[in-house]
Amino acid sequence: MTSTTHIELSELRVSAGSRELLAGLSLELRGGECVGLVGESGSGKSLTSLALLGLLPAGLNGQAGMRVDGRDIEFGSRTHAALRGRVFGLVPQDPLAALHPLRSIGRQLLETLRVARGMSRDAAQAEAEALLRRVQLPEPRQAMAKYPHQFSGGQRQRIAIALALATQPRILIADEPTSALDARIAREILDLLDTLRREESLGLLLISHDLPLVGAYAQQLLVLQRGVVVERGETRAVFATPRHAYTRELLAADQLHALPAPAVDAPMLLQAENLRMRYRGATSNALDGVSVQLHRGEGLALVGESGSGKSTLGRAVLKLLRGASGRITLDGIELDALDAAALRALRRRIGVVFQDPYASLDPRFDIARVITEPLRIHGIGDADSQCAKALELLQAVGMEASALDRYPHQFSGGQRQRIAIARALSTSPDLLVCDEAVSALDAHHRAAILALLAKLKRERGLALLFVTHDLAAASAVAERIAVLEAGRIVETGPTAAVLAHPQHTHTQALVAARPAA
Amino acid sequence: MQTLRSLPPLARSCLATLAMLAAICWLGPLFTAFDPHSPDWDSLSVAPGVNGHWFGTDAIGRDVFARTLAGGRLSLTIGLLASVVALVIGVGYGAIAGLAGGRVERALVRVLDVFSALPFLLVVILLLTLFERSLGLLLLAIGGYVWIDLARVMRAESARLRDAPFVLAAHAAGATFSQRLRWHVVPNLLPLAFVYLGLILPQAILVESFLGFLGLSVDEPSASWGTLLAEGVQELDTAPWTLLFPASFLVVTLAAFQFLGDGLRDWMDVRGQVARSEPVEPAAA
Repeated sequence: MTSTTHIELSELRVSAGSRELLAGLSLELRGGECVGLVGESGSGKSLTSLALLGLLPAGLNGQAGMRVDGRDIEFGSRTHAALRGRVFGLVPQDPLAALHPLRSIGRQLLETLRVARGMSRDAAQAEAEALLRRVQLPEPRQAMAKYPHQFSGGQRQRIAIALALATQPRILIADEPTSALDARIAREILDLLDTLRREESLGLLLISHDLPLVGAYAQQLLVLQRGVVVERGETRAVFATPRHAYTRELLAADQLHALPAPAVDAPMLLQAENLRMRYRGATSNALDGVSVQLHRGEGLALVGESGSGKSTLGRAVLKLLRGASGRITLDGIELDALDAAALRALRRRIGVVFQDPYASLDPRFDIARVITEPLRIHGIGDADSQCAKALELLQAVGMEASALDRYPHQFSGGQRQRIAIARALSTSPDLLVCDEAVSALDAHHRAAILALLAKLKRERGLALLFVTHDLAAASAVAERIAVLEAGRIVETGPTAAVLAHPQHTHTQALVAARPAA
Repeated sequence: MQTLRSLPPLARSCLATLAMLAAICWLGPLFTAFDPHSPDWDSLSVAPGVNGHWFGTDAIGRDVFARTLAGGRLSLTIGLLASVVALVIGVGYGAIAGLAGGRVERALVRVLDVFSALPFLLVVILLLTLFERSLGLLLLAIGGYVWIDLARVMRAESARLRDAPFVLAAHAAGATFSQRLRWHVVPNLLPLAFVYLGLILPQAILVESFLGFLGLSVDEPSASWGTLLAEGVQELDTAPWTLLFPASFLVVTLAAFQFLGDGLRDWMDVRGQVARSEPVEPAAA
C-alpha cells in the first residue's frame, strides 16, 4: 500500500467530427493526492473521466499520451481497458442508478469480489463486511441483506464507494459524487473520500461544478471552460490569486451577500398562519404548523434540506396543493374565503418561477405566447398591447426582442429562466414565489439571475418568497430568512444575522456545511 | 416535429406499402372494366386470368379483383373513421382524467377498468344485432372497442403533464381547467396520440373484418374484406381464390400497420433520448 501510483495523462484531445470538445488537457494523479476538476455542464469534465477510463462514447475521437507508474500505455488499447477496476475505480453521480435495484447489496458486493478477485464465498463475505465498515455504513452485517431502495441517498453513495473499492483500485474517480445530496450529507461523503485518501493513500480525482466545495478537499485544481483548461495550480494559490476571470466568477458565486436589514414600516403583504399539509401515504406532516409573514417589497428566503417542507410551503402559498390547511391572507384578503373564480382572479397578483428551466415553458408555445399567457388568462388588453407588454418585459429581463417568435428549445437554461421570470411579471404581481429558481443553473447564470431578481425587487417593489437550499443565493435576494426542518420553522430573522450567528443547531449545521472558501 | 426522413427505413417502407395499397383500392377501378356487384354470367367461378378476370370470379360470376378493391375501400374507410372516433374519445377522456387528478381521476380510471372487464366484442355484437345497423353505429361500436387502451396511455401522459412546471405555472397564473386542457395538455398529447393512431388503426380494421366475417358489418351486395372472407370460406373447395386474394390484402395491410406502429414507437423513444440529452451546451451564454 505504500508504493504510490502515478498516472500521467497528457494532451488529451476529444472531438466529435470537426467539433473539438477537449483541447489538450493534461493531468497528473498520484496516490494520496486529490485533484479537483471544476467546470460547468458541457465544459468536458465528465468526458475527461470517461477518457481516463477508456470509455469514450462511440462517435467521439480521443487521443492522449498516458503513463502509469512510468510505463507507457497506448490510449484506447486493451491494456488501457484493463486499468479499469485494477487502477481506476468509479464513484457514480447517481448511486441509485448505479446499484442494481433487485439485488441485495451484499450480493452485489460478493459478486464483484468473487469475479474480480477470485475470492471464496467465505472470504468474500468477510471482505464485503470489511468494505462496508471502511465506508462507515452503520450495521454492515445487517445491511448486506438489504436492497438499494432501503437506504438513504448518502448511505447509497457509501455503498457505491464500497463497490468501487472492492476491486482494490489505486485511484478513485468521483464524477459529481454529491450533486444529488444535501450539503450536509455531501460533506460527510467527501470527508469519507478524504479519509480514504489520507489513510490508504488512494489517489482521488474529484469532478464537480462547485469550485468552493472542491477547493476544500483538493490539493491541485484544474478549472475547465469549454474544453480548455483556463486555470491550474495548487488549490491554495488558485483561491488566493485566481488568474482567470472565469475562476474569479466561480469563486464569487458562493460568497454571502449582506442586504440591508428589512424595512419594518412597509405594509404587510402576505400572512400565512398555521399551515399544515400531509401528503397521501406519508407518515409525518410535510408542513407542521408553519406561519410566515412578508411585507411589501421584502425578500424572505425559505431554506432547508430536501424534505424539510420548504417547497411544500411555497406551493401552499400558491394554493397549488390539495389538502393543505391553514389561513393565508394576501393584502388582507383571505384566500380560503374566495370562491374559485375570485381566487383565479387574485392569482394575477402572485407570480411564480420554478426550478427546472427546461420544463417551465410549454415546448409548443413561442416566447410571445409564453409571456402573454397570464394576460390572456385574465383578458388584460388586446393582442397589440399584450405584444407590447411582452416586448417591454423581455427587455426588463435582459433579452433581445428577436426572442419573441422563437421557441423555448432555442434558448439556454439561463435564458429560459429569464423568460419564465418575464412571464411571472406580466400581470405586475405584488409577490413572486421562486421555487429553487436558480438551483438548476450554472454558477455563471445563477449569479446573473440573482442579480436580475434583486434588481426587479428593488425597482418594482416586488416581494420575494425565495425557496432554496443555497444559503449564498438566499443572501443575495432576501433580507429575512426562515430555516425549515421537518415541516417546522426552527429559526427566523434577518439573513445576515442568522447566517453570521446561527442559534438553532440545525441552522448551525447548514451554515457549517458550506465549504470554507 | 421531426420530418418523415428520420423515420426508420422499415417504417418508411411500411408507409409506402400502405400508400400503394390505398392507391390500388381507390385507383384500381379505372383499370378494370368489371363492376364489383354485377355478375359476369359467362364466367362463373373462373380461375384467375380467365376471360380477363385477373383474380378470377366467385360463384355468381362477380369479379374478385373489383370486389377486393371495393372491400378494401370500405374496410380502410371504416377503420380510419373508427380510429378517429377512438382518438377523439380517448384523448379527451385521458386528458381530462389525467389533468383532473385526485378523486375524479381515480373514478374515471375505474370506469375504464369496468369497460376493460366487459366482454366488449360480445356487447358490440349484441348492439349490432339488436339495433338497426348503420354506418354511424358501426363506427361507434368499433371506435368504442379500441379507445380504452388509448385512453389509458393518454391518462398517464396527461397526469405527467399535470405536474409539469409549465402547466403548474399556468395554474398559478389563474388558468381555468379548460384553458390548461386546451392550451397545454391536449396539444402536448397529440404527437403521442398520432403514434398510437398507427397502433389502433389495424385493430379497428381487424375488428371490422371480424364483424364482417360474422355478417354484422355492411350488408350485401356491399363488401368489406371481412364479408369477402366469409364468402370465400363458403367457396373454399370450388374457388379458393375468392378467399385467397382478399385475405392476402388484409394480411399485408395489418402487417404493414404492425411494423409501422413498432417503428413509430421506437422513433418516439429516440426522440425522447434526444430531447433529454439535447440541452448540454448553451449556444450563446
